[in-house]
Amino acid sequence: MARLLLIEDDADTAADVLADLRGRGHEVDWAATGPDGAQAARKGAWGAIILDRMLPGLEGLELLQDLRQAGDRTPALVLSALGDVDERIRGLRSGGDDYLAKPFALGELAARIEALLRRPVEAPETVLRLGSLELDLMAGLGRRGGRDLDLLPRELKLLAYLMRRPGQVVTRAMLFEEVWGYRFTPKSNLIDVHVGRLRRKLEAGGEPSLIVNVRGIGFTLSADD
Amino acid sequence: MTEILRSTAFRWAVGIALWSVLFALAIFGFVYWQTAGLLREELAETLRLEIRAVAADPAAAAERVDTWVAVDPHAEHYGGLFGPDGRRRAGNLDAVPAGLHPDGDPYRVGAMVELAQQRIHDEIWAASLALPDGSVAVIGHDSDELDRVQGMTMRALGVGLAPTLALSMVGGLFLAGRARRRLAATEAAMDRVMRGELRTRLPVGTRGDEFDRLAGNVNRMLDRIEGLMGDIRSVGDAVAHDLRTPLTRLRARLERSREQAATVDEFRVAIDHGLAWIDQTLAMVTAVLRIGEMEDERRRAGFGPLALGDLVTDSVELFEPLAEERGIRLTAIADGAPPILGDQDLCAEALANLIDNALKFTPEGGEVRVLATRRAGAGILAVEDTGPGIPPGERDRVFRRFYRAEAARLTPGHGLGLGLVAAIAKLHGATVAVTDAPGGGCRMEIAFPGG
Repeated sequence: MARLLLIEDDADTAADVLADLRGRGHEVDWAATGPDGAQAARKGAWGAIILDRMLPGLEGLELLQDLRQAGDRTPALVLSALGDVDERIRGLRSGGDDYLAKPFALGELAARIEALLRRPVEAPETVLRLGSLELDLMAGLGRRGGRDLDLLPRELKLLAYLMRRPGQVVTRAMLFEEVWGYRFTPKSNLIDVHVGRLRRKLEAGGEPSLIVNVRGIGFTLSADD
Repeated sequence: MTEILRSTAFRWAVGIALWSVLFALAIFGFVYWQTAGLLREELAETLRLEIRAVAADPAAAAERVDTWVAVDPHAEHYGGLFGPDGRRRAGNLDAVPAGLHPDGDPYRVGAMVELAQQRIHDEIWAASLALPDGSVAVIGHDSDELDRVQGMTMRALGVGLAPTLALSMVGGLFLAGRARRRLAATEAAMDRVMRGELRTRLPVGTRGDEFDRLAGNVNRMLDRIEGLMGDIRSVGDAVAHDLRTPLTRLRARLERSREQAATVDEFRVAIDHGLAWIDQTLAMVTAVLRIGEMEDERRRAGFGPLALGDLVTDSVELFEPLAEERGIRLTAIADGAPPILGDQDLCAEALANLIDNALKFTPEGGEVRVLATRRAGAGILAVEDTGPGIPPGERDRVFRRFYRAEAARLTPGHGLGLGLVAAIAKLHGATVAVTDAPGGGCRMEIAFPGG
């Protein structure tokens, strides 16, 4: 599906990530050191780059800064054992498009890579359509088929986020960060209840389910036709 | 002995002794100066009056000089009337003493005098005036009396100084010894503390002096250190316990599935359980690290103006579906909270932890109220529930890391949520408190400093 470059010095982690992403149909190359990674990255034509922060030879963020200074805008996801908020901000400032703290679920990584690869164009469109779903962002109105959906503002935002990523797995953490704008990890199954409520509203007329739970990872919204 | 000589207390004793001596010297000096001055003035006045009386009546001058010399029980009076040729006409002086100005004022001069049938040179006080016929009258007085006063003062000083010096040395040594004994007790206590007996406290006297205050402060510091050590130990124990539990379960489950699972689905179930336990363990490690991060003051970089009211409404909106699912009424009361300076993300996290906690302990049909209010200028965030509440004896412990009320041991959670709340509050200079809620449950409150 896409050509990915993984720059990661830990061979075991790399092996699992490679196997997982290849299993999802991606073509993935692996570089184990900073200089190797920088060389591979410069050869170009990658759909996305996944890089660890602590690399032998060249620090991950330096590598990324060099790449950005050379004008390369390839989406990059930074992996790091340094999970705190400040480190995350540093990672994003250095040109990273997303930041994932170790240890992470492989499903979370895959979903985030997917999101980077298919980053929706946040077009100024004010009406979103997906199958029988229609969402008027200006008016704050959602409809399924001919039925009005009685959506709260946050549900509207959640549905819009999902509709812009049809068929794509979005994780709880992604929703919590992007829809609610919080940076911590909620302890309870908060996101599940919110999604559950939205799901019930979407199916209130007895229509088939549009939002599917992806076990252990998150949710996918699909078109119904 | 050298130790005593080196001790500050001994140096103080010597210092005090020297000071007493200087003080005594100064007092004696003053007394001498005053007494001698008075005597000298009196003598000078007598001489002045006498010489004027002599000069006032030139005809009777010789007689008056002889009378002055004669009326002298102690052989202290001197006098002389010398003709213009320098010859003595009356008195007992050989000649006009050198350096004596004939102006009627008394001077201290040297003169040859006859004393106990011996001619000796003596220091006397004398005044002289010239008479109209060219002769010179001299009236003098021995200076011995003044010298005796001086000598007496010096002897008194000598006699007094030695005891003063001795007494102040003894007193100083006594004080130094006492201070040294107190220090020795303190030192011994410190030694025991350094050997690891953290329960040892320094002896505190009842006088309330600097020593006592210092010892009291050190004791309070030791209390704090002991408390921290206790915290670290209990955190260590709790981490070990709470990490071991899921890891033990994980290990057992993996072992058992390896032997017993026959189908892929059975393996999946085992692995899912394993993953859940690992996530639980990781969440705990993350929380411990987050608390550590919070305790590092650098986190203040993200501070900005913050509306507590918005925080409350946003958080209630976030938790409302969860509350509804559990049959709990969740209400937001944003009531005139002043803007505070804080980190939006961290405050949201702290409030989320409090709400999460309240929802966990509130039974179905109960209510959780989330408030943003003002009290005496301070911004207050509070969460009230209708749960079982917290016994007063446990209240000050709930915000410690890993603390879990006995009753809560069986509910899920790692006991770090409130520890994180406390750490976030501390970072903001805010205080946390647990009280009774009006509805009977417990009220957890974060009070941000005003302004």
